Amino acid sequence: MKRLQQQTLLGIRDQLGSYAWDDAEISELVDPQLGIITGFQELLDQLELLRKVDLGSIPPAADISSK
Amino acid sequence: MSTQLAFASIGELAGRLRRGELSAASLVQCYADRIATLNPTSKAFISLDIDRARATAESLTIGPADSLLKGIPYACKDLFDVKGMVTSGGSRVLADNVAEHDADAVTQMNRAGAIFIGKNNLHEFAYGATGENTLYGTPPNPYDQSRLAGGSSSGSAAALGYGLCAAALGTDTGGSVRAPAALCGLVGFKPTFGRISTEGVIPYSWSLDHVGTLTRSAADTALLFNALASKVQTPAAVKLEGLRIGIPEGFFFERADTEILDSIDRLMNFLRGTGAKLIPVTMPSMEHSRTVSLTVQMPEALSYHNRYLEQRGALYSQDFRAGLALGQCLLAEQYIRAKRFIESYRRDMDRAFDGIDLLLTPATPAIAPKIGTVEVTVDGKAEPAGNAITRYTSFFNMTGHPAITLPCGMHSEGLPIAAQFVGKHFGDEELIATATLIESSYDFKITLPDIK
Repeated sequence: MKRLQQQTLLGIRDQLGSYAWDDAEISELVDPQLGIITGFQELLDQLELLRKVDLGSIPPAADISSK
Repeated sequence: MSTQLAFASIGELAGRLRRGELSAASLVQCYADRIATLNPTSKAFISLDIDRARATAESLTIGPADSLLKGIPYACKDLFDVKGMVTSGGSRVLADNVAEHDADAVTQMNRAGAIFIGKNNLHEFAYGATGENTLYGTPPNPYDQSRLAGGSSSGSAAALGYGLCAAALGTDTGGSVRAPAALCGLVGFKPTFGRISTEGVIPYSWSLDHVGTLTRSAADTALLFNALASKVQTPAAVKLEGLRIGIPEGFFFERADTEILDSIDRLMNFLRGTGAKLIPVTMPSMEHSRTVSLTVQMPEALSYHNRYLEQRGALYSQDFRAGLALGQCLLAEQYIRAKRFIESYRRDMDRAFDGIDLLLTPATPAIAPKIGTVEVTVDGKAEPAGNAITRYTSFFNMTGHPAITLPCGMHSEGLPIAAQFVGKHFGDEELIATATLIESSYDFKITLPDIK
């Protein structure tokens, strides 16, 4: 998986129907400078690892029912 | 007298109210006086409802058949709707958001006769475990005002910690009730997912949000749970002898302050001495659990807050906006996959509970960090302060198991240490009853904070 580019997120914002985040906020996700949020690339890397786990037919979690 | 009353348990207060040694009105006044003096320091309350509380208290007659909550003043995190009051979420965004109805949990407390006195400060919209709030201030820890009370139910913990109410309601999405309770020497409880209604509470993440309680004892927790939950059963008689307590291997005892681990060791020795069986338990892999939780939290938070972003987006704090922006940039399949992992964790945990009655872990790996701390370093590894505070609690929001944190000692730096007990799904009553038994048997008493 290639490293996230700012242009990708700007495309999501502008082309996929999104709230109009500031360019600076998008930039911060890709290249954190202010320490406001860190680790988005790390999160994506971990999600890529999770994508490769075979969960079989386990469904998404729903409410917990009493037995 | 004021201090003694202010830090009394609900059980003690209820006894005095019943015996006529104390009136509900004088109890409300005791807390009102302390709030007037201590709220500027504690930053525990965002808004107050003292006049209505006084009027309610003066109209009460309390008899032996009444709920033990009758006449007991309580507060709630400012995510809960209280009719006629602003539900701010600790944010400028909802500064004019006047509730038309009470939240279900508030209705239930009031129905039991408890007296609502005000709404507590919090990390904005419950986004964060440090309890920092640029608008209403950051509640300091009652044991050391240079340190955090913890969050996100920071004001609820501070309200009890500074002796400003007898009980408080909070919300717990990753430990936001249990962790601040642990850091402030209180008892924090979250039920089985869904057992206490979240109706009328501003959501943070529907899949993970729990309404929880902060109290001075597990016995008090039982009183609140009985009022708040539906279909409460009288638990079977619990005893420590023969109780099977699972001790998770690995994760929950790694990268933790050695004094915290020593306190948990002492607790385990006490439990062994009572005849409880301590059984090693293999837990699901925790390696990606924070990733899974975050991948569910942020899109859900964005989905709720989308209704305000267009008109009021500039009123959000910078850090919450950044979190919402992250939620915008995750893929639908990643969200669904995270929810499938949660189901997988639940199934693994059900298997882990085969052969045990409850689990024991430390509540937090570290004592309350200094206010302004960005990272906490334990065993040479740094992690964001909020992640550290909730490292041992957040997993059980995903699995939905009931969990309670209890004070179990004092750190040499003068801060409380706490243990966490986790029960089976719908075993809330047994969990609380067992915690009550443990606190009555074990020397859990910690010194009260020295409030100036």
